[in-house]
Amino acid sequence: MAFGMPVLDPKKIDWLLLATVFLLIASGLLSIFSATHNAEIFIKFQKQVFWVILGGLLLVLTVLAPPRFYHYAAYLAYAASVALLLLVFLFGKSIAGNAGWFGIGGYGIQPSEFAKVATILALARFLSDSTTSMSSFRDLSKAVGIVALPWSLILLQPDFGTGLVYWAIFLAMIFWAGAEMVLLLTLLSPVIIAVLSVIGLWYFLLAALLVSILFYVMKRNLGIALMFLALNLSIGFGVQYLYSHLPEYQKNRIAVFIDPAAAPLSAGWNVIQSKVAIGAGGLTGRGYLQGSQTQLRFVPEQWTDFIFCVPAEEFGFIGGVSILLLFALLFLRGVRIARGLEFRFSSLTAIGITAMLLFHVFVNVGMTLGLIPVIGIPLPFMSYGGSFFLTSMLAVGILLHSWVSRDSFS
Amino acid sequence: MQNASFASRKRAYILGAVFIGLLVVLIVRLYELQFVQYNSFRSQAESNSIRQISKDPLRGLIYDRDGNLVVGNNPSYTLTVTPFEFDWHSLPLLKRIFDIDTNVVRYRLSREGISSFRPVKIARDITFSQLSMLEEYRTLLPGVNYTIESRRDYKSTAHMAHLLGYTKEISPNLLKTLGDYYQPGDLVGFNGIEAYYEEVLRGKKGYGYFAVDARGKVIESFEHGRSDVSAEEGSDLILSLDMDLQLYGERLMRGRRGAIVALDPRNGEVLAFVSSPDYNLTDFSGRIPVDVWNTLRDDPASPLFNRCSMAAYPPGSTFKMLVAAAALQEDIIDENTRISCPGSYLLAGQEFGCHGAHGDISVVAALEHSCNVFFYKLIFKLGFANLQKWGRLFHIGSPTGIDIGSENPGILPSEAYYDKRYGSRWNIGYLVNLGIGQGEINTTPLQMAAFTAALANGGTYYRPHAVREVKDRATGEKRPVGNRPERLPLSPSVISVIQRGMYRVVNGSGTGYAARVGGTRVAGKTGTAENPPNPDHAWFVGYAPFEDPRIVVSVIVENGGFGGTIAAPIAGAMIRRYLFGTWVPEQPRGGSTETEPVVVETPPANAPVED
Repeated sequence: MAFGMPVLDPKKIDWLLLATVFLLIASGLLSIFSATHNAEIFIKFQKQVFWVILGGLLLVLTVLAPPRFYHYAAYLAYAASVALLLLVFLFGKSIAGNAGWFGIGGYGIQPSEFAKVATILALARFLSDSTTSMSSFRDLSKAVGIVALPWSLILLQPDFGTGLVYWAIFLAMIFWAGAEMVLLLTLLSPVIIAVLSVIGLWYFLLAALLVSILFYVMKRNLGIALMFLALNLSIGFGVQYLYSHLPEYQKNRIAVFIDPAAAPLSAGWNVIQSKVAIGAGGLTGRGYLQGSQTQLRFVPEQWTDFIFCVPAEEFGFIGGVSILLLFALLFLRGVRIARGLEFRFSSLTAIGITAMLLFHVFVNVGMTLGLIPVIGIPLPFMSYGGSFFLTSMLAVGILLHSWVSRDSFS
Repeated sequence: MQNASFASRKRAYILGAVFIGLLVVLIVRLYELQFVQYNSFRSQAESNSIRQISKDPLRGLIYDRDGNLVVGNNPSYTLTVTPFEFDWHSLPLLKRIFDIDTNVVRYRLSREGISSFRPVKIARDITFSQLSMLEEYRTLLPGVNYTIESRRDYKSTAHMAHLLGYTKEISPNLLKTLGDYYQPGDLVGFNGIEAYYEEVLRGKKGYGYFAVDARGKVIESFEHGRSDVSAEEGSDLILSLDMDLQLYGERLMRGRRGAIVALDPRNGEVLAFVSSPDYNLTDFSGRIPVDVWNTLRDDPASPLFNRCSMAAYPPGSTFKMLVAAAALQEDIIDENTRISCPGSYLLAGQEFGCHGAHGDISVVAALEHSCNVFFYKLIFKLGFANLQKWGRLFHIGSPTGIDIGSENPGILPSEAYYDKRYGSRWNIGYLVNLGIGQGEINTTPLQMAAFTAALANGGTYYRPHAVREVKDRATGEKRPVGNRPERLPLSPSVISVIQRGMYRVVNGSGTGYAARVGGTRVAGKTGTAENPPNPDHAWFVGYAPFEDPRIVVSVIVENGGFGGTIAAPIAGAMIRRYLFGTWVPEQPRGGSTETEPVVVETPPANAPVED
């Protein structure tokens, strides 16, 4: 049965996953309400209610699709997304220094969000192909190419933060597809070393030593391990040398490239106020609609990327941890679904989607907690905004869909 | 893909562990903020005690080509109010001390884009005594403070008002278009160089975070200044302007309406940029007094108007070089082609006049005598398409690209232009009129100067620019401002014909004899732009020395009459001043420097001195 009438057996639906998502959306709406209710920006809450309704419909439609629908549609969706990214690059409008928007009426649409799911589908389709081998250099290069194409278009917008998500997805998916650990280590270590070398000498020396020891443990070949160490050291020193020799304005340019919205005004202030808001929440919080930082709107545009500090201020540690636990449940369900699916395409898609959501949660919450630089990516199901909300609903819909139709492939 | 590791149990555990591990990191951090640092954050939240105070950088300085300071900065005190701390009951006291309109305060504190927790700029240029009053009454004025801003300090005798532009408070519209760097109340470059180089001059604002007490008094730096961002000073500009020539030009134009643009034809550098009447920029630094502003705004001579690059006039006969060059290069005529001028030209039942019957005349002589009939017939052959092509090449009807805030592109009418404007109610006579630079063609004095420069230097169009170099304050690095040379498709023989024509205008029996300068050879072209029902505008464009041009001058005197009698002597005086450094009338004079030196030399007795 390839394209028969959709049959939806209520017993096959992952109700736990659905309930988790429902609770997260509800927390999101409560938080946006709290952040906007006593001001002229209340329209934001009303708009978000509209997105939630639209997202719900999208979720139902996504689940109702015929069993192999996403497998068939994968490359087409991918091609369409790349075309949209090109169009938005040529004709899009700019919001907060980022040109990746289409305006429809009063609503802005960001194709780069939808492109995430399309890329996951295309990569899953490619990696699940019986002729694709994880130990072939050519196949790996093709996989890199699938991700690099939309990624480079997003980088041009410029949206560095959204671009990073693509590589997080990529790593999780090739890991799931069975890529050798050594390969992952080799891919990952230069990036880590490069970042650490900017932070400090000892950090990166230590990291280089650690990954090299790990490399030796895996490969059992001292010569190659030493070469690996040398490579990492030269990358670290190289980056450090280059960075220290950049004139100040170029360093700034890199900083602006990484985060175009980080005018000194927004970034520093937001993080300080977000930390104060969260810290003041304590164990039990200051009460719903009672958080002074939220209600006095210390955190500008709190309802978008800084939404997490609303529950953390008003419901304290208990509120914050509850939300993180809901997300933990979601991710574990994601891995469980991926493990339980025999159809390799669906299994890979499930991991890609889970990795995408996890990356968003970790970076977004990390940024409100002052752990990670402000790179402006939203919190799934909770942040104000249509494009990423719909994308998340689409992603969860696909996850539910593959679980519902798990027996259709035997 | 036959891979045993695919979706293996081991990998599922690893992934699950990584995912949960990352969430644990977040929870640990949450614990740190909400338990370990709870007390300090809680008290900060309760007192709403963190303030972000911006540190305005020093605006870049402007120097002349010899390194003398032209525009500097003076510190000035600006009154600020932080809305969250402000007690509205203290408004009368505020009004009494600072003599400000309470409505202004209300307006400024309620504007879109302000934050309740950031100081809002309320009034500039508060005096030192007001400042001491503020300190004295501090306890009664919660949330009231001051900040130091730089206010422009003009050092030169020459005004250069239209070239330099000024700084003023950013308008709500500009605030929307320029994005989030600016706050309401910030200063921004307006017009001229100040506007064009705004991003270079302004530097980058810095921010400091401070803990304040309930009255808004700063207690300490927040987190020992860890989150502070230091301000970066603006870059300096080095002008290409010759200050002596500029001042001289301004004096020449005193009492006249018009403009002088002088360029270096070898690179497009602006040597003088005079728009007259002008105004004193010193009046514009800081708060502009209302009466000064109203006088300037209501003056019928529009001193605020930049006549060099914003005013567009019909170029009159100065346009003939373009028609001639285009026709020669397109092989419509050659140097020896003779066209007959019986004194007028009849086309489509219309008669187009000339000043005399020139007989069979070649292009050099037609330029020399400014024969209209020659150019009527020539542009008829040249046609609209070629006119547009050559207009584009010489940037007539399109901006020169000069590095000042605003520039009028002028108009070079095309068939489409007339169709749009008149439908079918226009005829070929409109084209014929363009041949002598009359009708709806409009060019700025700057465009004519850059055009003449391209003829003088042998066929390269340089983008005019008034700033030679941008100097980074921090590194001392000097970055030259490019002139984007565009090589025009003109053969040397064509250029030579045009140059000889222009040479004869001044040195033959042409109309430009008044531009002659002893000791050098000047070439140029006069023009008289009809301006019915008012008196004609007088034009002159020219360059010197003829063999190796170092200066191009374009002069227009509004309602001045004939170009040859009014504009040409001014151009000659500028050339002499630049090349030889002397004031034109060298005989001793009893009067002050206020007298207009040119008048002495103007040959015809009936020349109008002022309009």
